[in-house]
Amino acid sequence: MKRADGLRRVVVTGFGMVTPIGLDSTETWASMKEGKCGVSRIENFNLDDLYIHIAGEIKGFDPAVHVKSKKIQYGERYSWFAGRAADEAWAMSGLPTPYSNPYRSCCIIGSGAGGYSTVETAYRDLFIHNKRATHPLTLLRIIGSSASAHVGIEYGIKGPTFATCSACSTATHAIGLAYDYIRNGLCDVGVAGASEAVLTYGSMRTWQAMRVLSPDGCFPFSKRRNGTVLAEGAGILVLEELEHAKRRGATILAELMGFGMSSDSKDMVNPDIDGPRSAMQFALDDAGLDPSEIDYLNAHGTATALNDVNETNAIKDVFGEHAYKMAISSTKSMHGHLLGAGGGVEAGVCIKAINEGWVPPTIGFTDPDPKCDLDYVPNTGRSLNVRYTMSNSFAFGGLNAVLVFGRAPA
Amino acid sequence: MDDVATKIIEILKKHMKEPRDDISLSTPLTDLKIESLDLAMIVFDIEDRFQIEIPYNANEDVEDFKTVGSVVDRVKALISQNSASADAAKA
Repeated sequence: MKRADGLRRVVVTGFGMVTPIGLDSTETWASMKEGKCGVSRIENFNLDDLYIHIAGEIKGFDPAVHVKSKKIQYGERYSWFAGRAADEAWAMSGLPTPYSNPYRSCCIIGSGAGGYSTVETAYRDLFIHNKRATHPLTLLRIIGSSASAHVGIEYGIKGPTFATCSACSTATHAIGLAYDYIRNGLCDVGVAGASEAVLTYGSMRTWQAMRVLSPDGCFPFSKRRNGTVLAEGAGILVLEELEHAKRRGATILAELMGFGMSSDSKDMVNPDIDGPRSAMQFALDDAGLDPSEIDYLNAHGTATALNDVNETNAIKDVFGEHAYKMAISSTKSMHGHLLGAGGGVEAGVCIKAINEGWVPPTIGFTDPDPKCDLDYVPNTGRSLNVRYTMSNSFAFGGLNAVLVFGRAPA
Repeated sequence: MDDVATKIIEILKKHMKEPRDDISLSTPLTDLKIESLDLAMIVFDIEDRFQIEIPYNANEDVEDFKTVGSVVDRVKALISQNSASADAAKA
């Protein structure tokens, strides 16, 4: 069965997450049920003279234990996270390894910054320690497409394989592209999402210099919010054409129904309302849904002074009165801002909310901001009959991408 | 105007799209049409020029950055803190 617009229908048959609150989606979801916060004092590197001391670090990650593939174990930290999240997603989908129709599959795994820690280590070796050469795998670890290549190799994917790069919208763009390839008939199966691992001393210095990080915590939509908190991890989906999934008797978790993207084309840091509003509207139009049908919206919700007000206003523009009736939360309050990978994890959260009939909270919500007056599911998640969900990603540079998910087709 | 104030005004002018010559200590920063990213660059230049660290957060309305004079006062306080701790280190 095709969509009303003649395009093929695309479903989700697997998803995987690596976050500061869980090394897989089950653990991450359990943490969300408890309202657990993954933001803590940085332990993985020396703070030296940094004055921002917190992040959403993944602590105790050992590639030899947590990454199955030997080849990926030799990769960068960001490829480790991608490898692990993809492994969870692929296993959940039940697809064969290697995939049986390789040129009909795609692997689009982006990263905002690629192998940041490898760059830093290599340059310290060259410029500080006066070493004669960098490690032979330095280049392969740095390049932003190595995670997609690694994962593609693991599952024998021979169709379109590359990375997207759009800062905090990276994963959402990747998922949207794989969705387009499948519904237009180029592929039947796609692995898509993003991975990020930028928690290093040098990277923290660059963020600190932009003056947008909070020294205290990530408190989206709350009056006390004073900046975002960087985090690391990965979020990856397995997408599949509906009939393809049905033929092999796969468990269908959700339908990917809509994708909208836009650019503010205005400013590198100050968000505009038209861009986010258009991206949300395009995603709803693509899904063929009325705004009132969205039950849960996973907000971009970075906890910066500007984003949260702008996103709230854009939501009101698109949803009207329904903006006050639907559940909206920023799970960044728990897992921090995974930058490029954020949209991948948050897409998984939207699917889980549909399957579990439960919406995760915005924790740390102590005092409401009159400018952010919607239902952000403060502090405790709740049971809710969730039919359709929306996931927002709005990046630096004004790059917006939005996904809409619905229940598995009957 | 003293040396610190003169240097800070030089830095402000460098970052203004339309630099003016009538900037005084009482001029509010909002009058200089400085946006958040400009302010981050101004703070960077001030830190570099005076070898100090200003924990400025673009997400907060910082009283210390209301007027040109308040920036000058804040920088002077940080400079004297720095030299005090340097003296303490010598002692």
